[in-house]
Amino acid sequence: MALTKDRLWKVYRDMVLIRRFEEEVEKYAQNGTIPGFIHLSIGQEAAQAGVVEALKYTDYKFPDHRGHGAIVLSSPQERRKNCMSEIFAKESGINHGRGGSMHVNDLEARNMGFNGIQGSTVVTCLGTAFDSYYRKANKMEGWEADDKDLDVTAVFMGDGTLGEGTCHESLNMAATWNLPIIYCLINNHYAISTHYTESHPQQQLSTWGKGYEVPSFTVDGNDIEAVIEITEQAAERARKGEGPTLIEFMTYRWQGHFSGDPAAYRPDGELEAWQAKCPLLQTKKKLMEVHGYSEEELDALHAEVEEEIQGYVKFSLESPSPKAEDAMKFVYMDREVEGR
Amino acid sequence: MTRKLSFSGAINEALHQEMERDETVFILGEDVAKMGGDFGITKGIWEKWPNRAYDTALSEQAILGLCNGAAVCGLKPVAELMFADFVGVCYDQLINNAAKLCYMYDGQASAQIVVRAVTGGGIRCAYHHSQCIEPWLMNIPGLVIVAPSNAYEAKGLLVGSIRNQNPVVFLEHKLLYNTKSEVPEELYDIELYKAKVVKEGSDITIVAAMTMMAFAEKAAKELEKEGISVEIINPLTIFPLDKETIVDSVAKTGRLVVVQEGPKVMGYAAELGAMVVEDIFEYLKAPLKRVTSLDVPVPFAPVQEDYVLPHYDDVIKACHEVMAF
Repeated sequence: MALTKDRLWKVYRDMVLIRRFEEEVEKYAQNGTIPGFIHLSIGQEAAQAGVVEALKYTDYKFPDHRGHGAIVLSSPQERRKNCMSEIFAKESGINHGRGGSMHVNDLEARNMGFNGIQGSTVVTCLGTAFDSYYRKANKMEGWEADDKDLDVTAVFMGDGTLGEGTCHESLNMAATWNLPIIYCLINNHYAISTHYTESHPQQQLSTWGKGYEVPSFTVDGNDIEAVIEITEQAAERARKGEGPTLIEFMTYRWQGHFSGDPAAYRPDGELEAWQAKCPLLQTKKKLMEVHGYSEEELDALHAEVEEEIQGYVKFSLESPSPKAEDAMKFVYMDREVEGR
Repeated sequence: MTRKLSFSGAINEALHQEMERDETVFILGEDVAKMGGDFGITKGIWEKWPNRAYDTALSEQAILGLCNGAAVCGLKPVAELMFADFVGVCYDQLINNAAKLCYMYDGQASAQIVVRAVTGGGIRCAYHHSQCIEPWLMNIPGLVIVAPSNAYEAKGLLVGSIRNQNPVVFLEHKLLYNTKSEVPEELYDIELYKAKVVKEGSDITIVAAMTMMAFAEKAAKELEKEGISVEIINPLTIFPLDKETIVDSVAKTGRLVVVQEGPKVMGYAAELGAMVVEDIFEYLKAPLKRVTSLDVPVPFAPVQEDYVLPHYDDVIKACHEVMAF
């Protein structure tokens, strides 16, 4: 399915935004401004932008640890700068600097955040999927109509995540109850240093879903049109109560596991081969060759994104740190915990 | 109106009545729906509300994960862990997810879930179906652990736990299921985080929970005959502990004996001991005494299990020792 000219333009812009977001995050992580460690998604923009594009604002999104792209695109324009300042550990961060890179969440946009433990959100997502399933089954307020669509839950997971037992439990339960989940398996080939074929018997991890009778697909995760098409189909099935889908998006992370990992475990030439399949380059080519956009128009898009990103960076750098004693907040909903 | 009701009947009634009142409450777990639970605690719920009682696969991680996600959306799940020992297989969902969601979401949402966990020894089921798990969870800010010792407390505390906005591990000691006490017919809740002064006294404070309460009450009666006045405190919420009530009592009596079913090392008795030494050292008339299980797994052979679990005579001995110090 080819996207309309305008939609392809829009998602190209989304991908450029992710790329520039990640490059800036890397810069400030490398120079020590951003504390802790970060996982960059450069090279994987299409899978993130495409999945978010295929979903509604009211669908639940569980980004993975390499999820800055899905995070920033899930939030509306006015809160995107706060996603970046969260990574900078600032009070203006969307979670007031409480979680940082790995836990950025925006409940209003139904970005449910990532749990730092691989596989954890793969079972938590059962619950957000169960919510509308339950409300509809019990004809709760607002859910009385038989034809009302369920809210979809998309959970991002990596090829490495699949080794966790939660993935088995989750797929089994979701398939048994027809829960509205899309398992977005971002296969970037490596779990830190271990190639997925060294830790799994399958050549394509999507075949793993077939044992649960879950419709399972492998697509080119660098082809944004393919990503959107398959995700929209899965979302449609989920909404209608027809159950979960497992989609394996074949892609590649250009950096090491964390910012600063030299990734010496990769064979020579592998990165370069994938860089030639850059999702941004592919889309740009299509925009120019198929849809007739000019170099000037694309330059203008890049300049616009650049201005936006520099705005986020400025905001993040200028924002103050949170108050130290605010660390004591929200351990419990209904009781205080004694501070120093 | 009150009448005698069993501990298991009280929990069942609490679930029925709270589910009647609040349509967001549902139950899930292994065999909890059609069968009504391995211990029969959830009987009659599936018949009444087939869409609010879910039998699951043997998947404790999925059960707890579903609870956490559903709670963030505003539902109130009550999950059953057939044996508290199974916390081991869903530990991550409890300590790294449930306990941290409120923190992660800046108080905008939390894991308002109840995990009913069947705990404790005494039924000759060996080391994987007999453990007291509370210390496994007491180092995790964000969790709440509740432990009733009779039917009245069980009903009120379960309702209080379902309404509590935090993740609550609700410990049901299997030896208590058939014990009976006066329980009001109507729905009521008991406030969490509050210890109960079960009996007032002036010489020794005994802190005990669940089945150990019976030891404490029996010992208090026996010691009374010798002129020793025992104050008994039941924490009810084992974590976070009601420090004030416990410390106030020990400040008054000057002596603390903790009767705890689980192993001694790093049990909650250790925390109680640290608490009084830190806060009211000058009031103490004797060292802390802990009556606990021995530090071994719970064995199967009755003669061995009886050897390992706490002995009533040791409670009397500990009380005599703190008086004689």
